[in-house]
Amino acid sequence: MVRYLRMFRAFAASEFQFEMEYRGNFYLSIFEMFLVIGTSIGAVLIMFGHTTTMNGWTLPEMIVLLGVYYLIQGGVNLVFSPSFERLMEHVRVGTLDFHLLKPVNVQFLVSTRHLRVVRAADLGLGLVVVIVGLLQVGAQIGVAQSLLFALSLFFGVMLVYSLLLGLVTLSFWFVRVENLLAIFWAFTEAGRFPVDVYPLWLRVSLSTIVPIGIAVTAPANAIAGRMDAVGVALLGAGTALAVGIASALWRRGLRSYTGASA
Amino acid sequence: MYAVTPMDAPVVDVRALRKVYRVTERETGLAATFRSFVRRRYREVLAVDGITFHIDAGEVVGFLGPNGAGKTTTLKMLSGLLYPTGGEATVLGHVPWRREGAFLRGMTLLMGNRSQLVWDIPAADSFLVLKEIYAVPEAQYTRTLDELTDLLDLGPLLHKPVRGLSLGERMKVEFAAGLLHSPGVAFLDEPTLGLDISMQGRIRRFVAEYNRRSGATILLTSHYMDDVVALCRRVIVIHHGVLLYDGALADLAERMAPYKRISVTLRGTVGDLSTYGEVVSSNENLATIHVPRAQAAERTARLVRELGDQLADISVEDPPIEEVIDKVFASERPLAEAMA
Repeated sequence: MVRYLRMFRAFAASEFQFEMEYRGNFYLSIFEMFLVIGTSIGAVLIMFGHTTTMNGWTLPEMIVLLGVYYLIQGGVNLVFSPSFERLMEHVRVGTLDFHLLKPVNVQFLVSTRHLRVVRAADLGLGLVVVIVGLLQVGAQIGVAQSLLFALSLFFGVMLVYSLLLGLVTLSFWFVRVENLLAIFWAFTEAGRFPVDVYPLWLRVSLSTIVPIGIAVTAPANAIAGRMDAVGVALLGAGTALAVGIASALWRRGLRSYTGASA
Repeated sequence: MYAVTPMDAPVVDVRALRKVYRVTERETGLAATFRSFVRRRYREVLAVDGITFHIDAGEVVGFLGPNGAGKTTTLKMLSGLLYPTGGEATVLGHVPWRREGAFLRGMTLLMGNRSQLVWDIPAADSFLVLKEIYAVPEAQYTRTLDELTDLLDLGPLLHKPVRGLSLGERMKVEFAAGLLHSPGVAFLDEPTLGLDISMQGRIRRFVAEYNRRSGATILLTSHYMDDVVALCRRVIVIHHGVLLYDGALADLAERMAPYKRISVTLRGTVGDLSTYGEVVSSNENLATIHVPRAQAAERTARLVRELGDQLADISVEDPPIEEVIDKVFASERPLAEAMA
């Protein structure tokens, strides 16, 4: 465990170097982030100019949810999506071999090797949005509630991770899966709103096929005191199952890669 | 510091190793492309057809064969990247495709056409990542890096982004990256590919010196015979996935080329020399004659005696190794038949 943490620290340090190589890009990403979060808060404010609640969600609660959305997105975009982008490239070019030669868990290596350090700012801003929302809600947040929130946030990120891993694993068979990922990201956009505002068919797919709805709504519910420990435990079990299935698929994909590649 | 195996056990032990690929096949044209998208047709390609060999600790062995002979497939099976279709192999006492930690820490695979370094950052930063991945202790890391820096003259290269390095410089840092964990076995796949003559020489000297200092076992493939001549006393030749020759490089010419080459320089123009052997080239006062190996001494003596004062210079040698290898690979017949 300590070894893997040390490894992760080395990855982060090396990727920080990488981003410092392209400083212009770094500043642009930060600017882009303010723009994106600003406009989506704007959209929510406009919507609530016409109504006071949306299927039981008040404006402050919606702000909290939006913050959670960016926390989850930030977590995924900080580590997993840059790593997976490289993974698909490695599969195409054949440099995945170098990862397979390393005496470490290959799934860990391909999931965390590359970071987009600038996305850590998303996490920070997401947290600010959550806090602002909570202040508006005016609720008292206890230790237990914060703990449940942190846990469900972690589960949410891992839920999205398992789906991403499953999708990129398909690149072993199809080589190019960028289009699938584009569909995936389009779906995650829907996570900006609570999953229960959508019609049934979309609610079901946002909770099962692309569980971003669950991943975002659950932590927002947890901090708002609408989800108890049992709910969070269920979420944890579901997440563990999803990660297990994705890992199994990954191992199968890897076997087919080492069984056939030239 | 290096992976330890019993003294008498071979470091690389390969028995009847086989690999069959299933490849998709399709005809050209849009309709055929569509058909193959809907329903793929497969064809089996035999890449490695039951090869057997052993390599002892500290040996540097050249692995020769034309493109598509099965060299890279074999190296990939030996480094655990591919499951074989049949046969057995152990490297450092481990079955490679089980990918055990002790095996992976004890070996390295360097490919001349692929890079493991991150393009946009200096090699030194990538090295730190490798240090953590292989859990190399601080003191050992410093010592190894110092040694590699010294041997490869890496000093000025380590802190420049890799994309700014020349091909030769990049290969040097690739070597360092692959050897940071002091592997006991190194598989080198075309390590001098595309390098200029002086850089090829540089890499060769490094490999020889590294082998001498560390005692690492090295299996090397290369298209440049100079690499093999400079580094390997022993060569393994494969063609169409079949092992053709395994033995001393010095004996390869004798076994595979049944002739010697006599070069003569005359004081006047060259007349008809075909009575001495097969004249393969002649212009003005230079001629090259191939003669059966067994008769080389007698023919040379005759040339000296009969040409007398006309003769300015004469030399007898084995044909160049490239020529020998070329001849072997050009023939479709397996060598066993050719030699029978």
